[in-house]
Amino acid sequence: MTRPTLKGRSFTRSSAVLLLSFSALAAYGGVVTSTASASSKPVVVGISLSLSGDFSSTGQAGKLGYELWASQVNAHGGLLGRKVKLIIASDASTPNQAQTNYENFITHDHVTLLAGPYSSLLNLPSAKLANRYHYLFVEGAGNGPAVFGACLPNLVFAGGPASATNAGLVWARYILSLPKSKRPKTAAYPDLNTSFSLGEADAIQKMFQRHGIKTVYHTVYPAETVDLSGVMESVKAADPQMVVSGTQDTDGFAQVKAALDLKFSPKYWFMTNGPENPVQFPATIGKQNVTGFFTTDIWTPTASNPGNPQFVSAYLKKFGGKATTINSTAAETYSVGQAIQFAVKKTHSLTNEKLIRVLHKDSFTTLASGTIHVNKCGEPHGNQNLEEWVNGKIQIVWPKAVSQHAPLIPKPAWKS
Amino acid sequence: MTVFVQALILGGLTGGVYALMTSGLTLSFGTMRVINLAQGIFVVLGSYLSYLFFTDVHIDPILSILITAPAMFVLGFVLQTIFLRPIRYNAHSLSLVMTWVMAIGIEGVLSIIFTTNQRSIVTSYANTSWTFGPFEVPAVRVYAFALSIVILAGLYFLLEFSKFGRAVRATSQRESAAKLLGVNTDRVSAVAFGIGCATAAAAGCLYGLIFIFNPNTQYDLIGRLLAIVVLGGLGSYKGAFIGAMTLGICEALVQSFISPQWSDLPFFLILALVLILRPQGLFGLRERGAA
Amino acid sequence: MLRVAIVFGPLVVFPLVTNSSATWLINIGVFTLMFAGLATAWNLIAGYTGYITLGNMAFFGLGAYGIELVFQHVGVGAGWWPFLMVPVVGLGVALISLPIGWVAYRTRALSFIIVTIVLVVVLQYLALNLTSLTGGSLGISMPTPQFAPGTFERIFYFVMAALFALSLGACWYVRQSRLGLMMFAVRDDEDKASGIGVNVAVPKLIAFSASAFLSAMFGAVWAYYLATIYPQFAFDAEFTSMAIILIGFLGGAGTLWGPTVGAFILVPAQQYMAFTLGANDYYLIGYAAVFAVVMLTMRRGIVPTINDLLDRRRRGRISQLGAPRSTGAPVAEPLEAAVGSAPQ
Repeated sequence: MTRPTLKGRSFTRSSAVLLLSFSALAAYGGVVTSTASASSKPVVVGISLSLSGDFSSTGQAGKLGYELWASQVNAHGGLLGRKVKLIIASDASTPNQAQTNYENFITHDHVTLLAGPYSSLLNLPSAKLANRYHYLFVEGAGNGPAVFGACLPNLVFAGGPASATNAGLVWARYILSLPKSKRPKTAAYPDLNTSFSLGEADAIQKMFQRHGIKTVYHTVYPAETVDLSGVMESVKAADPQMVVSGTQDTDGFAQVKAALDLKFSPKYWFMTNGPENPVQFPATIGKQNVTGFFTTDIWTPTASNPGNPQFVSAYLKKFGGKATTINSTAAETYSVGQAIQFAVKKTHSLTNEKLIRVLHKDSFTTLASGTIHVNKCGEPHGNQNLEEWVNGKIQIVWPKAVSQHAPLIPKPAWKS
Repeated sequence: MTVFVQALILGGLTGGVYALMTSGLTLSFGTMRVINLAQGIFVVLGSYLSYLFFTDVHIDPILSILITAPAMFVLGFVLQTIFLRPIRYNAHSLSLVMTWVMAIGIEGVLSIIFTTNQRSIVTSYANTSWTFGPFEVPAVRVYAFALSIVILAGLYFLLEFSKFGRAVRATSQRESAAKLLGVNTDRVSAVAFGIGCATAAAAGCLYGLIFIFNPNTQYDLIGRLLAIVVLGGLGSYKGAFIGAMTLGICEALVQSFISPQWSDLPFFLILALVLILRPQGLFGLRERGAA
Repeated sequence: MLRVAIVFGPLVVFPLVTNSSATWLINIGVFTLMFAGLATAWNLIAGYTGYITLGNMAFFGLGAYGIELVFQHVGVGAGWWPFLMVPVVGLGVALISLPIGWVAYRTRALSFIIVTIVLVVVLQYLALNLTSLTGGSLGISMPTPQFAPGTFERIFYFVMAALFALSLGACWYVRQSRLGLMMFAVRDDEDKASGIGVNVAVPKLIAFSASAFLSAMFGAVWAYYLATIYPQFAFDAEFTSMAIILIGFLGGAGTLWGPTVGAFILVPAQQYMAFTLGANDYYLIGYAAVFAVVMLTMRRGIVPTINDLLDRRRRGRISQLGAPRSTGAPVAEPLEAAVGSAPQ
């Protein structure tokens, strides 16, 4: 039996295709490298963001934050007198592409500085690559345990005052600050199996258990679970006074929907993620059901920490929309820019080694983290704020010093 | 015991919706021997369309099915004609790849139009549930189950008793013979694909009422749907229905009884067992040839 | 041998002659060679035995976690030693693949495809939930390889090139051997082959485990290159699986060089597109559109289509001399033979 095989002339043709594509690439590389080195005036910052794929909605928000920062810096004379130019490439929410993007930024485009992508999943391999070339790597969205566990000398997390694990402890502290009679005695922990949420919920659980709040139910459900009715059924059956949900957003909404179906409304409900979404949370569970949900976040549009009102008004001026629809990721990436700006100003230099040193030594202030200090692994040790849905808005309720409204407990029953 | 029955109820109700989703897969497999990897995104598209009608035009989503289903029927028909018909006789596996290409194309369009924000269709009755003794039965799930059964029954009658249905069955059994007997198999396949798309529109509406979705949801769905049809047997509607109910109930039971962490595993174990003992699935036919 | 030199010559020389500012190109080369090798390994099952599979990612991921376990339990440091452990991991995964293959081969054709998809989904699920073993969704950070920045990419490039050569070699060997004949017999008509006494289980399982062996080794090297593993990327049922078979079909499944050609065109193009156009979701649509167009115009893939064109021209010129018919409708083309020309 004959079948087409790649012999003789046809082989030569095919290998010609191979050679051509390769030499085209090499030529492209050669041509562009020679022109890239000629322009050195602007400060070029290479950023890979997830503009398509799983993380795209936050990736797009992050882009706006970076752009706002760049435009503001340039309006005030730039960095050390040089304009900031951002090159943003999309990694389609995959680490292979993120790796390629940063590789391109460093060895092809020879950027001056780098800034981080969205999610621990992408920040970790990218930071490792940047470390190989001794570039500073400030990022605003990856604070999971694996990221700090790798303890990379060039990494700085500027997107919040605490790592993911410690972020939720403010809730534990608040509950424990209440008089014993007002504290819940039992708690249920339905957690999603992902890096942030699980670590955060576990830390809270440990603290509560140490102080005598009994765990009546604890479960970890897999990442792709769409139907949480079974889980919430078991939660309801255990009759807890407080529910602490270790969630991301989708499953957070799903937990509440299931609870509504089952007519289950605990007196205290804290979620690691979900309620901080100013538009999606009420849209998916119903506007009338949002009151009383607690979460932590690094930022709300109406928070009064220094620089925030200016950020919000500048954002709205540049991009339009309403304050309530600003995604916190924009504030996080803006903070990354602020951290870089601080380091450049302090050291009067754009040399990455110097910037790395100063950011690990001094404390600095950003929108998302307040004034913080990072340890040698890039992890900050501050505290997040406790937020709650009160009067149809999400507001900071604790600690008192920064609160916009007193906390409302217990959570009201569902309005049918 | 309460928990058991509650789980049974919830799981069974969800199973009905899954069954509706898989009916489209069985249709396209039966007539074209093609696995439609785009079925997941069709369901999501159906969800978005109903969502649009609800939020912009304020029509009840279930009523909107009267509009979205015919629209998606046309879409399915057109897609089959442009993308699948030309390559059908080349390779079935190529068609499989092509359906996946369609799926990511549609996902791209949806991501641009709607962004990847999570959505849900929150009607006034979205969170009502009826109390029967110790059990809570969410209204939406009952509506969804009821509607699924109605549509599936309609599909059954169509296939068993109508001329078109006979043509579909003839094409599924032996295409060359059907052709000889004067059946326009190309058109039959296109219409069947369109119907599969239309049922996805309905299923999408129901899915959007119960769950939360965005363009990426198609990946969660397609894995489940494929496992269901393999369990039930490719090409069998009965099998798909039973497979869907099995998945729904299995998931719910394990989730509340054993541990949510492993809620999907028993289903896959059952699948593996069935494959070892009866490779064609519960009701499928033994396949011949390598592909 | 000359053909090998033509292809491998530039491949080997290329990273050595480029200066250090072209490491980004070598990086693209790493991924390109990886996909070319993965697609060629896939070809063993899909092109040669005719069983289209989407399951090689399962073995890729197993290889990635395998090398991570090696790091955890065997003190290999972070230099060259891990590379020596790569074939060991590959062998381990190949052994595991045998019982999996046996269960999978209970089904045929389209059921088989679905089973392979489900396999990857199940493994991803297991990897996410067996947190004590795999770190679960928290991911695992591996020791970063201690190679100097200038040569880092180059080293991985050569390792990938070696694995790619191995994949090609396996395919080439199969074609020349009796084992290959058995595989083609399975592809053309398994029941008939079985009927005339071919033990069909042998070529099927050998193809399966050889493909698993190669895919696992690629997975191990990939994990080391990125130095991080997360389950959703190691066991990526949706994109990487489909990318491999798209590359295979694009280049021409069932031919020796087809998948390679497909990879060399597609991977740099995709990475370039993402880097420049990815700024919005048009990237996804563009990707889909390119594929649709190619599939509709060059249905058997680039290599066979080019072959056809050349042969048609050649036959046109020497029609009297009885030139051997290497293509033509009645002769079973690899793709048609593999999957049947019409539903029976």
